[in-house]
Amino acid sequence: MIKLLNASFTRLRKNKLFWLLTLFSIGLAIFMVYAMYNDMKNYGDIIKLEQLIFNYSTSIAIPISIFISLFLGVEYSDGAIRNKISIGHKRTNIYLSNLIIILLVSLFSYILFMLVIFLLGMPIFGTITLPISKFIILMSCIFVTIITYSSIFTFLAMIISNKTITAIVSIMLAFGMMITAITCMNILYTPKTIQEAKMVDGETKMEEVPNPKYPSEKKKKVCQTLLNINPTGQMFQIADNSISNIKKLPLYSLGIIVIFTASGIMLFKKKELK
Amino acid sequence: MEIVLETNNLEKKYKDFKALNHNNIHFEKGAIYGLIGKNGAGKTTLIRIICGLQKPTNGSYTIYGINNNSSNIVSVRKRMGAIIETPSIYSEMTAKDNLIEQYKLVGMPSLDGIDELLKLVGLSNTGKKKAKNFSLGMKQRLGIAMSLANNPDFLILDEPINGLDPQGIIEMRELILKLNKERNITILISSHYLDELSKIATHYGFLDNGSIIKEISSDELMKKMEHKIILTVNGPKEFVKYFEEHNISYEVMDSKTINVYGKYNLSKFINELSKKNLIADEVHEQEESLENYYMNLIGGSNND
Repeated sequence: MIKLLNASFTRLRKNKLFWLLTLFSIGLAIFMVYAMYNDMKNYGDIIKLEQLIFNYSTSIAIPISIFISLFLGVEYSDGAIRNKISIGHKRTNIYLSNLIIILLVSLFSYILFMLVIFLLGMPIFGTITLPISKFIILMSCIFVTIITYSSIFTFLAMIISNKTITAIVSIMLAFGMMITAITCMNILYTPKTIQEAKMVDGETKMEEVPNPKYPSEKKKKVCQTLLNINPTGQMFQIADNSISNIKKLPLYSLGIIVIFTASGIMLFKKKELK
Repeated sequence: MEIVLETNNLEKKYKDFKALNHNNIHFEKGAIYGLIGKNGAGKTTLIRIICGLQKPTNGSYTIYGINNNSSNIVSVRKRMGAIIETPSIYSEMTAKDNLIEQYKLVGMPSLDGIDELLKLVGLSNTGKKKAKNFSLGMKQRLGIAMSLANNPDFLILDEPINGLDPQGIIEMRELILKLNKERNITILISSHYLDELSKIATHYGFLDNGSIIKEISSDELMKKMEHKIILTVNGPKEFVKYFEEHNISYEVMDSKTINVYGKYNLSKFINELSKKNLIADEVHEQEESLENYYMNLIGGSNND
């Protein structure tokens, strides 16, 4: 395992994609600070530093999915997996070493983004407004969710041998998770009542009426569960500060990590390679 | 002699198609084992199984005496190097970087041997050129260099000369012979280029429809392919006595047939025999090429 990790780190240092992801994280952080600074200056918006950090977490699945599918896809397209097996590495170790590298890179790219935000944002927007303990808890949830993304996309990259198909499936899944999360949040945030215009004695009057689209309790429960299970749904809840039960989220994440990693190893061990 | 690889009734099925069928091969340390078979005969499937990329449907194999069902089979592969179909190299890296990566993968304590390996395969001067810009021959040689990173004593090369130009084929042949002679590496090499294999192999395994139909050493094969005179005689005893006295290489095939090996002028040879009252009922002259031998084998196996 150490040999596999050592080799992967060596490859990472020479990998263009990794440096692109690093530059993207730094560039995005600079852009976000600049955009928020403009909003503050032009419209007098109050910018919370933690909001900048949390907002990126809702879309981090997209750059991660691209990186993982291409970085691990090369393992198949260039025959590296074949090479690792034929020189006596266990399949379980190959899978786990790839997962470790991927989750370290994913966490690194987010932490780097965070550091740049802190470095540039603190002198402009001030320090974080959340209590430090809550901030640490939310950050931990984000880190666990990033590990969840890593385990899902590593699973796909290790099971699908074709780099292009892996990239397409992974990116579609990243967007799919985002669309599902947004849809669930929209349903959950549907107001109970809406204002309706009525004509009374020739005058238009606004009246508060029950919203026909307001979801039933059952539907709300389903949506909330979907939002909790979906890693992007978790990220949206953190960014939105609308977590229903903060203890549950890491448990859902851990469940996903265990299921995807265990089934990924099992399938990879049985996989017939060419 | 230590047996490097042995397969016992190895079978591989893909749905209804049998890629390997009761496959039995074996060869010893120091051999260059040429696995010959047409496309689709099962060469690559056999190699994939030996390298652990696929599992056999039935049967077993041993590498250095370790059975494939043993947990030690993974460790024994650390003594192996392999190129399966295409060399496993990172196309975005240089030759040196690929070797550094491989050194780390096999856990070499230092990177000292890399320059020597690059020199051995003739890639010392590739500098910063990425592997994706290499010619096919260069890629194959880099693949070999990578498979040598762990100082293997068993090397598997699947179709290493496929697509190479004549110069590349010569370089590859010289490299394989060098590795076998100087580093005492046992080599399993699959190919359908009979002529090329005949220049390097010490042993042959002829594969057809997933089965090894014949295993033969290079010496035996050369003998079979030698120019020979086939004599059909009534009693071989007198002929044998004459051949022994005159140091003539021969083989009694059955009670009526004797093969005489070597180049002789046929009429002079018959004359000499008749002077000693040795009269053959029938005399045939035959010179067999490896191709003929192979075609006869395949034909024979298909007729069975």
